[in-house]
Amino acid sequence: MEIFFQQLVNSLSVASVTILIGMGITLIFGLAGIVNFAHGEFLMVGGMATWFLVSAGINFFIAVLGAMILVGFLGFVAERGLFRFTLERPMNGFIMSIGLSVILQHVVIRLFNEVQKTIPDPIGQVWVVHGVDIIVMRAIVIAITAIVVAITYFCISRSRYGLALTASIADPDTAALMGIPVRRYVTGVFIYGSVLAGLGGALMIALFPITPFTGSVVIIRGFAVSLIGGLGNVGGAVVGGLLLGLVDGLSAGYGFPEWTDAYSLVLMIAILIVRPQGLLGGTLGPKAS
Amino acid sequence: MPALEVIGLQKEFGGVTALAGVDISIETGKIAGIVGPNGSGKTTLFNVVAGVYKPTGGRVLWHGKDITGKPTYEINRRGLARTFQQAMSFSGLSVRENVQISYEHGRSHSATSQRKINWSSPDEILSFVGLDRVANELAGSMPFGNLRLLGLALALSTNPSLLLLDEPAAGLSENESEVLTNLILRLAEMEIGVCLIDHDMFFMGALCERLIVLNFGTKIAEGPPSIVLNDPSVVEVYLGIEK
Amino acid sequence: MILAFLIAFPLLNLGYRFLSLAITTGVTAIALYGLGIQFGQAGIMSVGHAAFVGIGAYTAAIVAGMFGIGFWLAIPLSIVMSALCAGMVGLPSLRVGGQHYIIITFCFCALLQIILTNGGTFTGAATGLDVGSIDHLFGINFDQLRNIYYLVTLVLIICLVTTYLIINSPYGRTLRAIRENEMLARAIGINIGLHKIGVFMVSGAFAGMAGILQAYYLRHISPILYGPFPSLYLALMIMLGGSRLIYGPLIGAVIVSFLPEIMRLDPIDSRIAYGIGLLIVVLLLPGGVSAGLLDIYRRLRPRSLK
Repeated sequence: MEIFFQQLVNSLSVASVTILIGMGITLIFGLAGIVNFAHGEFLMVGGMATWFLVSAGINFFIAVLGAMILVGFLGFVAERGLFRFTLERPMNGFIMSIGLSVILQHVVIRLFNEVQKTIPDPIGQVWVVHGVDIIVMRAIVIAITAIVVAITYFCISRSRYGLALTASIADPDTAALMGIPVRRYVTGVFIYGSVLAGLGGALMIALFPITPFTGSVVIIRGFAVSLIGGLGNVGGAVVGGLLLGLVDGLSAGYGFPEWTDAYSLVLMIAILIVRPQGLLGGTLGPKAS
Repeated sequence: MPALEVIGLQKEFGGVTALAGVDISIETGKIAGIVGPNGSGKTTLFNVVAGVYKPTGGRVLWHGKDITGKPTYEINRRGLARTFQQAMSFSGLSVRENVQISYEHGRSHSATSQRKINWSSPDEILSFVGLDRVANELAGSMPFGNLRLLGLALALSTNPSLLLLDEPAAGLSENESEVLTNLILRLAEMEIGVCLIDHDMFFMGALCERLIVLNFGTKIAEGPPSIVLNDPSVVEVYLGIEK
Repeated sequence: MILAFLIAFPLLNLGYRFLSLAITTGVTAIALYGLGIQFGQAGIMSVGHAAFVGIGAYTAAIVAGMFGIGFWLAIPLSIVMSALCAGMVGLPSLRVGGQHYIIITFCFCALLQIILTNGGTFTGAATGLDVGSIDHLFGINFDQLRNIYYLVTLVLIICLVTTYLIINSPYGRTLRAIRENEMLARAIGINIGLHKIGVFMVSGAFAGMAGILQAYYLRHISPILYGPFPSLYLALMIMLGGSRLIYGPLIGAVIVSFLPEIMRLDPIDSRIAYGIGLLIVVLLLPGGVSAGLLDIYRRLRPRSLK
């Protein structure tokens, strides 16, 4: 029982990072209509920024804020400078994002190096609850993710802003006629999704080491989560993240750990073929060009 | 036996009935028109006949053979061609290449027995519709009127024996409309059947030998224009909707 | 002129480094010609093309290891195997379009890498497989790098000519029709599904040929060569070079392989440069560098005629 509980906290903290990246992708893909292949690199940049700030002696939580602001700004620049011009031709946006991911990866290698980066556990404490050891940092990661999910869910499905957003994805022309600033919303969603990636990266490096190539591993999981959950569906991303975490846990626990990544890939291919809008329902994302 | 026979055709879109059991028969060499207000099911009828949608009920017969639910390309190869309301083209290619693609497919696939014309080259088709002078232009850069003609040329080059034209005159100037009318009349002389959709009663009345009126997915009248246009139920549907 | 240059290239004696670079470029270009037809003509992008190069390479290595089938006999096997796999991966494209399908190609590619890595002794796992040398043919010894260069060049020329013939044939026009407007293509009697699967198989066949050449040139293959990263770079190259014009894929391969060498960039800087190049191409030169060059050429030509 103790081991189960410890495992649960560990798995949940890993799933938290997956949920954060999946949520960013689901919002940007499903609501802004942009497939950003560099989203994984955004996360990696967030992690690297946190590492850099913490190594410079700055408090971890301030570093997290710094990483979120930096990646948010990165998202702003990418949207205004690049994706804005390909909204009509999403395929070109996709191809550009591949270029962007290559650039970010190698700029980070150029600035630092290829070696993996770690930071010491920012809290460094262990709670003992009824004989169960819980690493405090992991619990904090779970809590932060829960709060962010709640805020995002409220903003998307309950606020006026979220409704207008949903309307502008359903029918951009009509939404524009009704006075909804569709383009500004696209920018807003893109920045918000990027900030989530920054947060995800910052929390990730508190748990595991990060290399400049982490992004390309994470992006596949992010796409899997967003497609399982349904594009644009925040609750779905949470379910998707938990499901993926469960699958990972099971495959690691019962046999074939070397096939772990294959499960999410196969699941994703199947979902894309059978239900391109995602398992739990969502938008179809950008119109196929 | 009529070339195209539609029997009890039904089509629903998620509970909305677009076609509620329509019976129509159309012969080659004649000009038939399907009229009706917007949303009466005209385009849906074409799309079901051309294999874009599968019907919820009913059958489509082509020279007596059941072609219900066959794929679009297969239906075209049997000699039933259609144009689109949106005046589609392969916009990134030249006008000549557009027609050439269609011509090559028409030559290799269309049923020889029912072939009415034997185009000798893509250029012959282009000069038939009057696009020979703009053959080297990019299709997407042409004005709307020419795009309509190109759409007609694309359908024609597949050697059809029956052409379904979806609002061919929509958006055309009076001049362009007249050019089109003459083309349609020439097709009828060449034994190619034409069936067109429009909501403009006057344009249709002048051109068609037979009119079929649809409203809310059902046929409400059929016959020569002079009779149909004076039919009380038709007048009622159209009163206040069209001129 | 280009042909003369290609033949004379080894005679310039630029050294081993340049000759092997030229071979790599040639092999890459052969694979790119497949992607060029698929993306440039039929308009279907893939970020999983390296997977089919890998299937070609592994087919050759496996039949050599298990049945002792040499290079020449393995060529058709590699080509057919890659084409079949590409056709199967193409099946979802009948249902799913646009970016969704691109993500599928990426997943398949990542999946193949995992399968190859976990394939045990059959695929040599993460270390990969060793490949023998190319058997002598007509007394030509392919242990010499120069002769491998000529072999690759010959295949490249065949691919170029094949691409040229496809582009200018009714088949090429059919593919362009599908690229431009699927609905209209169907309406004029084109069997879209058949042609889509067909073009994936053509594309896979080119990749398979590139794969077997690469296997016998490197003499050792491993899963990392055929994963998502190489696939992304292939997509990047085809975009840089331009996919619709006949020299586009070749130019793309040359830019990516040779430019860093000539400009003396290290691999990291050159990758940043490709990324930036790709952004510039997508935003400003949608037809790729080859179309840009053609455009400049056309603008300059009337003036020089005056």
